[in-house]
Amino acid sequence: MILTILRIMYLRLRNNPLELLLVFVMPVIFFSIFAAIFSNGIATGSDKQLRMAVVCVEQTPVGTELREFLEANSSLQCTSLNDNLSTQRLNDVTVSSLIRDAQNSGRYDLVIKLPCDIPSDTTQAPVQVTLVTDGQNSMAVAMVSSIVKAFFSQKQARAFAAKLLRPQTNENDTVEVAAETSSLGTLAGIEMQKPNDSSFFHAAKTPSDFFSESQIQQLMTTDEYGVIRVGEMAAVVPSRWALQKSVDLAQPQSLNAVHQEVPAPVEIDDDVSLVVENPQAMSQENPRIAMYAAGIAVLFLLFSATGNAAALLEEEESGTLDRILVSKAGLFHIISGKWLGILLLGCVQISVMFLWAEVIFRIQLWQHLDGFAVMTICTAAATSSFAMLLATVCKSRAQLNAASVVIILSMSAVGGSMIPRFVMSDQMKEIGKWTFNAWALDGYQKVFWYQSPVSSLQTEVMVLLGSAVVLGMLTLIFSQRWKHG
Amino acid sequence: MTEPLSPILTLNNVRKKYRGCEALKGISLQLFPGEMLGFFGPNGAGKTTMIRCISGLLKPDSGQIRMQISANSDATKTARLGLVPQNLAVYHDLTVQQNLEVFGRLEGVTGRPLQTRIAEVLDWAALKDRTRSLVKTLSGGMQRRLNIACSVLHRPSVLLLDEPTVGVDPQSRERIYTMLDDLTAQGAAVLLTTHQLDEVETRCHRIMVIDHGTIVADGKLPDLVRQTIGRPHRVFVRFDQPYHQELAAFSFDEHRTSAMCPIDSMQELPQVLAVLKQLDREPSQIDVRSFGLQDVFLALTGRSLRE
Repeated sequence: MILTILRIMYLRLRNNPLELLLVFVMPVIFFSIFAAIFSNGIATGSDKQLRMAVVCVEQTPVGTELREFLEANSSLQCTSLNDNLSTQRLNDVTVSSLIRDAQNSGRYDLVIKLPCDIPSDTTQAPVQVTLVTDGQNSMAVAMVSSIVKAFFSQKQARAFAAKLLRPQTNENDTVEVAAETSSLGTLAGIEMQKPNDSSFFHAAKTPSDFFSESQIQQLMTTDEYGVIRVGEMAAVVPSRWALQKSVDLAQPQSLNAVHQEVPAPVEIDDDVSLVVENPQAMSQENPRIAMYAAGIAVLFLLFSATGNAAALLEEEESGTLDRILVSKAGLFHIISGKWLGILLLGCVQISVMFLWAEVIFRIQLWQHLDGFAVMTICTAAATSSFAMLLATVCKSRAQLNAASVVIILSMSAVGGSMIPRFVMSDQMKEIGKWTFNAWALDGYQKVFWYQSPVSSLQTEVMVLLGSAVVLGMLTLIFSQRWKHG
Repeated sequence: MTEPLSPILTLNNVRKKYRGCEALKGISLQLFPGEMLGFFGPNGAGKTTMIRCISGLLKPDSGQIRMQISANSDATKTARLGLVPQNLAVYHDLTVQQNLEVFGRLEGVTGRPLQTRIAEVLDWAALKDRTRSLVKTLSGGMQRRLNIACSVLHRPSVLLLDEPTVGVDPQSRERIYTMLDDLTAQGAAVLLTTHQLDEVETRCHRIMVIDHGTIVADGKLPDLVRQTIGRPHRVFVRFDQPYHQELAAFSFDEHRTSAMCPIDSMQELPQVLAVLKQLDREPSQIDVRSFGLQDVFLALTGRSLRE
């Protein structure tokens, strides 16, 4: 008996290709989607470069050097925003505009603003580098901050070494020995000078050029602020330290003695400050919640829309559709009436979601009511057309259910309803643009995150309304099967 | 019933290919006001296709369908056509009243006239006590009556019913035919398809038999019997053992265990019984019966299964 029951189950499954699709193909599809997102996106750190835009308020040698330093970093993908602009100093309005446009494009994780008049020696004048973030990728700020600090550390070390290279003789006929361990741990500077002494050391590139391995080890262990790794990228080091000691050249062996002692660190007092700005965060409480609300709302909107459109197939199966078609209501009235009903229901559904988010999470709905209304109507219109098309193409309610689950979940996974789009790779983002979810979420993001005006939603509105029209036309074409068999 | 001269619905040589086969091969018929026409045929004969063509849900490949009372004489669908689909074409999650309201509005009946008409129809369909009940809570017979009621709110002059009594008990069936009789009495023309032979025999004014997309018989039952079988009655005799003597006017089967004598009227019965009196052996069964639609139908369409 049990075998017979199993056989019944097997036969039913075998005879139902859509169920087979759900059972076996759907998990594979989802696995592939998420694998693609995570393998090229957030999971692998090393594969995905941070996308960074650089604005140089004025083209200066140090600014150019910093930009090249950033471009040389394999973790970063740098784009200079003012390459095509005049080499003159940019005014504040232009700079703000460049930064805002870069942020609103969604193409960059971070924008870095380099000030004018960056001195070669930052110990001499203060430098303020501004990191402008939209708050979506918090790792970007930490990562770029450390890289910028490393640049200025190296810069300081070189400057410090250069100073020491200047001939200086003190009264005791000794030379200054200085070494600096930077956050990169790659620089050391030394000056040993004595009149008539042929031995003359220039700045060494690495500590190992000058110090013995044991000395390096000692340097490492004597750093009271943490381990400084020599020759490789270090963890963040709070500041740079230099060793400065007088050495009697008449007794070269005293050099070892210098470093066998615990050297007294001398702080190089530079004046580089990193300022992090988030223009969006200043005028809103919880933009991230608004994005979650939009993602979930669109996902469930798609499901509820197809559920409502499925009523058409139920009416066909029961004969109610025939009765209505014979009445004064024609096919166009039926299709357009249902389309409008689904659209209105969708608008109410999204509104309820955002109202709840407003009450509980303070997403500042009222401040963005115009943009919200535009995006909601366009999203609901496109969704309604999509659901109606599915209902007219499918032959039965069961077929529609299976198809809608596969399509909607796939669209939502790729389009950003399940995983934020900003953590996806560029390729995944491009693929996502074939879904309603992506365009809807991009639109809501502009409204709630970037505080963009309604006029900035042109592309999203055109795509969503264009889809609504095209899918609506296809719905009318496919629905002719009900009119003339 | 006296047939008026002017038909309200006329089909002229209607042909329709449907899903690769010719479902209608030149159907022609006329339906008159106040007439109830029973459309009868085996499964797949073309009944539903014809109803869908008349109601405008299918477009005929050729031929004409004309509603006489329509302002546009070429229109295949007019405001006065009503369709009762084979399935329960009502919203099961709405109440009786709500269903009547929405289908009335879809037919263009609104406001006070709609409320008046709903009250009339509820009374007519014996659903007055269930106006606030959800359809899914009604019995099968009530649902069938509501199914019909939803199609008459706009007082159609032609009502098409596709097997309106499927799955209902005899009482509900009787009630449904009483409702249809009321409609024809008011001048509406009713065309119904059914497999219930007794209903067609006893309730319909005229019968049409369709087979393979062609109308193979059209008329009242006695005419059909005469056209297809010949004499309308017969006397049937059965024997336990083969009977080898001849009986006047009776014809035997090949095993000679049964014999039949067709007669035109009951006046001939005494003569036949007189023949049977002469039998030297008692038959096991004597049966006097009139030919019915079943006999006509089988005579016209054969006994082989169609599906």
